[in-house]
Amino acid sequence: MDREESHTDLGTIKIHKNVVASIAAIAAGEIEGVKSIGKDFRSGILELLGKKVLCYIKVVIDKNGDVWVEIPLIIKYGYNIPDVADKVQENVRNALEKMTNLNIKDININVQGIEKGDKE
Amino acid sequence: MRIFNVLGILFYAGVLILIGIGLIVFSLNILPPEDISNLLNFLQSNLNPRIIVGLAGLLLILISFSFAQLILGRFQIEKTIAFTTPSGEVTISLSAIEDLIKHFVVIIPEIKELKPDVIATRKGNILVNLRVVLRSEANLPELTARLQEITKSKIQEVLGVEEQIIIRIHISKIISREERKKKEEKNQEPAIPFGGYGRV
Repeated sequence: MDREESHTDLGTIKIHKNVVASIAAIAAGEIEGVKSIGKDFRSGILELLGKKVLCYIKVVIDKNGDVWVEIPLIIKYGYNIPDVADKVQENVRNALEKMTNLNIKDININVQGIEKGDKE
Repeated sequence: MRIFNVLGILFYAGVLILIGIGLIVFSLNILPPEDISNLLNFLQSNLNPRIIVGLAGLLLILISFSFAQLILGRFQIEKTIAFTTPSGEVTISLSAIEDLIKHFVVIIPEIKELKPDVIATRKGNILVNLRVVLRSEANLPELTARLQEITKSKIQEVLGVEEQIIIRIHISKIISREERKKKEEKNQEPAIPFGGYGRV
């Protein structure tokens, strides 16, 4: 399922999963300690093939409208990883609930690497 | 080892053996080129053999693709440390821990190079193998103890994990001062006389 539909008196509102991924990416990037969004294996191959990948965040929306988000992250050196992951999960959940009214089930974080950031 | 993995390995071994046999047969000239040509003509001329060959090719592609995906997926699962939070799951790639070790180890001046290899064992422990190149002035027992202590405390601090962390250090090389001086001299290229003359 690529998009979540909700019906109003005037018609239907469809939210594509790329929108969910973009909101999640922005919310994740707001947290101190996050260097960037990482890449997954599939996106890497698509990029190699020349396909432009907008966002590496994986979003699954099931038939009931429940949403699962998987965020690959690169974290800045010097920050506590569980703390940063926890803050990202909370911020992403708040942002998605506030902006889309979707039922967010799980926000899974995949820490792929550590890079030097501002905090040394 | 799971039965599917064994089947996959046997399949690939079988394919490679068949290719090998085919090449040997070709090189020894056991099978005349006419027979190969007749076989190919027969396969090409009728519809049924063509369909069978095409389906076999498709099946081979599907088998290799699913097997590759399974192996890659398995490796991906094995190479992470995971814990759950109320909002979902957090997985930390072992290469991220390797990056972390590379970054904090720069505070020890006696270490010239370091190659970390992090393994999550089945018992739930974290095994860290460090291959180190040292400068000659280093006191080895003191330095290795310090490195183990720093690595352990830093991983525990940054990851917040309770698992037992085992750190193994392998000193692969000790660079002497003379060796370093030679390298530095090599890096300093001699200036060419009048090298910049005439340039604007």
